[in-house]
Amino acid sequence: MRAMTADPVAAPVPALPARARDVLSSEWTKLRSLRSTYWTLLIASVTAIGGSTLSAVSAAHANSSPFDPVAGIFVGWLEYPVLAIGILGVLTFTAEYSSGQIRMTFAAVPQRLAVLAGKAGVLGAVTLIVGEVLAFVAFFLTQAILSGHGNAIALSQPGVLRAVLTGGLTLSLIALLGLGLGGLIRHTGGAVAALPAVLYLPLLVATLPAPWNDRIGRFTFLFAAYQEVTSRPAAHLFSPGISYVVLIAWPAAALAAAGFLLVRRDA
Amino acid sequence: MIEVERLHKRFGRVIAVNDLSFAVRPGHVTGFLGPNGAGKTTTMRVILGLDGPTSGAAHVNGRRYQGIIRPLHEVGSLLDASAVHGGRTAWFHLLSIAQSNGIGRRRVTEVLRLTGMESVARRRVKGFSLGMKQRLGIAAALLGDPPVLIFDEPVNGLDPEGVHWFRLLFKSLAAQGRTVFVSSHLMSEMAVTADHLIIVGRGRLLADMSMTDFIESNSRKDVLVRSPRGADLGDLLTSRGASVGSEADGALAVTGMDAPAIGDLALENGIAVHELTPRLASLEQAYLDITGDSVEYRTIATADAGQAG
Repeated sequence: MRAMTADPVAAPVPALPARARDVLSSEWTKLRSLRSTYWTLLIASVTAIGGSTLSAVSAAHANSSPFDPVAGIFVGWLEYPVLAIGILGVLTFTAEYSSGQIRMTFAAVPQRLAVLAGKAGVLGAVTLIVGEVLAFVAFFLTQAILSGHGNAIALSQPGVLRAVLTGGLTLSLIALLGLGLGGLIRHTGGAVAALPAVLYLPLLVATLPAPWNDRIGRFTFLFAAYQEVTSRPAAHLFSPGISYVVLIAWPAAALAAAGFLLVRRDA
Repeated sequence: MIEVERLHKRFGRVIAVNDLSFAVRPGHVTGFLGPNGAGKTTTMRVILGLDGPTSGAAHVNGRRYQGIIRPLHEVGSLLDASAVHGGRTAWFHLLSIAQSNGIGRRRVTEVLRLTGMESVARRRVKGFSLGMKQRLGIAAALLGDPPVLIFDEPVNGLDPEGVHWFRLLFKSLAAQGRTVFVSSHLMSEMAVTADHLIIVGRGRLLADMSMTDFIESNSRKDVLVRSPRGADLGDLLTSRGASVGSEADGALAVTGMDAPAIGDLALENGIAVHELTPRLASLEQAYLDITGDSVEYRTIATADAGQAG
């Protein structure tokens, strides 16, 4: 043990960049030291690439069906990998609450919004990298399967690069949405149940009588995401530009609500 | 130095802490004693900024905990050793906490060695025994080499060796000039560890005094006397200025006269004495007397026993 004096000199307050590095490195260590991180990312990867591959294979062999060469890259993405990666986001918070670890976390960093920002930063960065890698792997894989069947596209074609980049971004935004829900609900079961309820809202909205199905539907995450990854955006929904706002608003709202309650509730 | 000033904490209709004020000073082990539900954990959580007070305040080294940047350098704490994510190894658990306060890997290795946890550093926490988790919790509390340490019921459920290790640790930390604040619901535990006592019941302060003062003022001494002519001896003792109580089985409990004097007096008057036992009321009993009215949950049987005694 180090030498101690009865009257310790207060340590100098570290500058903001050092404090940001503190929480980011701590959250990075937490994320990479749990098996659940690797499981959820593995399942997200397998379901994403699996969906893309199956889509391309079936498009290559059935020339009659109308095939959107851009949206075809991401078939299944908004159903399967989003859940796995969203649950990773949920667990980033709720695993700490269910174990009680959160009290140690807040005792170590009492500035709770800094903890939220650290978690969002690390999770957002990791899932964005994983998402983009998956999106580009999916793109080149599907094009390799489709080449020679007349449906192949190139990254240089208008809108294609943006669609591929957004496909990866969507996974990251869903992870952040899950993080926000986890911080709000603080309970793994509750937050894991809430995630598909929020994501698959369009299924309910679609049953509304027109024009309300579209008027409300265009505010849903999945319809907004679809607008970004298709070569033929639906006219009755928001334009791809405005849909970006919708996409970002969902995780932003969840994180803001989580942050609002985080500083007010007892840990 | 920990200062709690007029602290109130209410959870819905339950008042957990009620107008509690005290100070915990450096260089001593201060025992925070009270029955279950007395508000000890809540008070500690407020000190650590985990719960917000309903009114009043708690300060550590003159500051609110929430305002401290990298607080592990000032306050180390262990509230609940089981509150650890089981899927992480001891090493990564400690590393993540260390990094959040700008503490390096070398110190992580150091606290693992201090707590004897080096050999299990790479094992996942979920396989740890309670004793190992307690040591892990202590390792985390020591990471920032803090001048103030707060432990909530640290020896609960430990084997005798573990309890012994903790006692020595608390004493050595206090001897280094640190403020050591340890809660317990067992007087017997505090009697061998603490230099100072803060006793609470139902959220209120019941006593705040040094261990020496507590022993001085609370260890009632008396002499148990059995005699076939108990009534005669009792009258005789009373006439000589002793006060005489009677036990349930008819024996006399004499205060104000020591055993040799009682024996001599009985001999002078030709009264046979069958038993003559000097007794020291235990600290446990003194503690029970203080907290007797403030136990939150009690069984009917103990309530009856309390009346009989």
